[in-house]
Amino acid sequence: MTTPVLEIRNLHARIEEREILKGVNLIIPPGEVHAIMGRNGSGKSTLSYVLAGKEDYEITEGEVLLNGENILEMEPDERAAAGLFLAFQYPIEIPGVATMTFLKAALNAQRKARGEAELSTPDFMRAVKEAGAQLNIDNDMLKRPLNVGFSGGEKKRAEIMQMALLKPSLAVLDETDSGLDIDALQVVSKGVNALRDGQRSMLVITHYQRLLNHIVPDVVHVFSDGRIVESGDKDLALKLEAQGYASYGGEAA
Amino acid sequence: MRANFPVRLGPAEDALIAQLKAAGADSTAERITVAGLPTRRVESYHYTDLKTLLRAIPPVANAANEASAPALRIPGAFNLMIANGAIQNAATAPAGVIVGKADGGVLTTRDDVLVHINGALAKEALTLTLENSVDPVIQVERRIEGEAAHVADALKVFVADDASATIVETFSGSDAAHVGNHATYLSVGRNAVVTHITIDLSARAVSHFATNEYQLADGARLRTLVIHAGAGLARTHVFPRMAGAGAHADLTGLNLVADGQHADITMETLHAVPHTSSQPLFKSIVRGRAKAIVQGKLVVARDAQKTDAKFMHQGLMLSDEAEILSKPELEIYADDVVCGHGSTCGMIDEDSLFYLMSRGIPKSEAETMLVRGFIAELFDPIDDEELNEALQTIVDSWLMVGK
Repeated sequence: MTTPVLEIRNLHARIEEREILKGVNLIIPPGEVHAIMGRNGSGKSTLSYVLAGKEDYEITEGEVLLNGENILEMEPDERAAAGLFLAFQYPIEIPGVATMTFLKAALNAQRKARGEAELSTPDFMRAVKEAGAQLNIDNDMLKRPLNVGFSGGEKKRAEIMQMALLKPSLAVLDETDSGLDIDALQVVSKGVNALRDGQRSMLVITHYQRLLNHIVPDVVHVFSDGRIVESGDKDLALKLEAQGYASYGGEAA
Repeated sequence: MRANFPVRLGPAEDALIAQLKAAGADSTAERITVAGLPTRRVESYHYTDLKTLLRAIPPVANAANEASAPALRIPGAFNLMIANGAIQNAATAPAGVIVGKADGGVLTTRDDVLVHINGALAKEALTLTLENSVDPVIQVERRIEGEAAHVADALKVFVADDASATIVETFSGSDAAHVGNHATYLSVGRNAVVTHITIDLSARAVSHFATNEYQLADGARLRTLVIHAGAGLARTHVFPRMAGAGAHADLTGLNLVADGQHADITMETLHAVPHTSSQPLFKSIVRGRAKAIVQGKLVVARDAQKTDAKFMHQGLMLSDEAEILSKPELEIYADDVVCGHGSTCGMIDEDSLFYLMSRGIPKSEAETMLVRGFIAELFDPIDDEELNEALQTIVDSWLMVGK
């Protein structure tokens, strides 16, 4: 059997005294796109942060294997080098750090961590240009400080561009559709779909079915009260859109 | 009410009084005899209590007979040097630069002990007259070499109308308990454009004091940058006088302090005539148990309508024991002005750090990027690439020491 790209076993996590993840189990084989849908406050975003290694959460039980390797003891940068990428719901604005400088630092840090040589400046520029073109990201935007003054759409496009550049084996997209109009949604989805290559896996977190018309998932999971309560094919998303989350219990946020 | 009994003088004051008397500065000696060095009760020295902080005054400097390596190399710069208060011979000056000497005492008299001491003890001043725009960076190295010494030196610069120049001063020398008291007077002509950067790179044992006074004519544009990155105790005065309509000053500064250090930037800008503007922006980065201070006073004269000035101080604490103090003051006698002040203080933003790390950037590199980003506003306007690079190395090596 092929090693799954992501395997989550009975994951429990809490923030301060409040348990948010209550036994998550999930397997994503290579090349598959899985969607997680759930109402606000169900713990979807927590799952994405816990995967990426945000400090605020305490893991009380369970394991997370990325390509067979337990990543829970790793720092966020080590997880990234191991092939994990999180597209943030709210990308952080960092004044004073030019987007281009940041991209180069990120790419080279990951290469270094994997024992690869740093990219030469011309090779780097070429890679950035290539990744940017598809997402309508021009040089002007790259010269600006990271995410500072970017519109909602620009921020999300910049996230997908980073993903294209960093070539992760698992991309977690946290509410990538939030704050996007239809046109921006299409550009972003096109960018994401271009990265589906039969090997790279994705975990798409959303609470609207809308995104899944553009990024069509192989499997849809329903998330409620800190765990996955139902899984099915893409039609499950349509059913949710029609019926809402009420039948899964828990309280509306 | 002032207590009517003599203050108790310490060894630093006794030494200072003797030195002042020997130099024939009886009135300055008398002031210190009566009042002592300023304590925290003197408003402008509230956070930098010289009586407590300055325990000893070393002997007045002898001429230097050794020189340490340049503190900061700026490729292509025209270099001048004042060592232990004595002006050294310089290479041939670029076209339009006249190098000369004059008597010391370059600062305008004001009620400040460091200004008085410099006036009394600085025997000669290096003078620079810039008759037209000067392309190479002009670097004035001010050194204190050899055994612990008390040095007062002075620089006077005139920049002609319509000229432009970048002047960098570096303060450095041997690793001894020197006390440096440096004065710079810079007159910026009509429509002249000047960048003036002063960088303290002294050894930790040094007490570094500097006073930078500026006079701006009509339409003059001045950018200043003070960097404290060396002495254990540092205080730089920034005293601009906005004396011509249309004059504008970007007054910036950076305190970089770590364990045991104390750095103070004290600004007092006088908007003397109508239609002038200033943008004071200071940043402090503190690591370990150390203290950074920025005092910023904006004074607007009665007639100086349409003054536009805003003081800002931003602090970044890299440790729990860090102390960052901010004192903005507004003294406004005109009624049609836009003046303001602001202060912020915080630690490295955890969300920003997580974002950078989630892209594969290791923690210490991510922190460096965020600190560089914090400072970028101060360095970005420095167009000269070699100079900008040299400034960046100061910050980088400061960060390296802390890792």
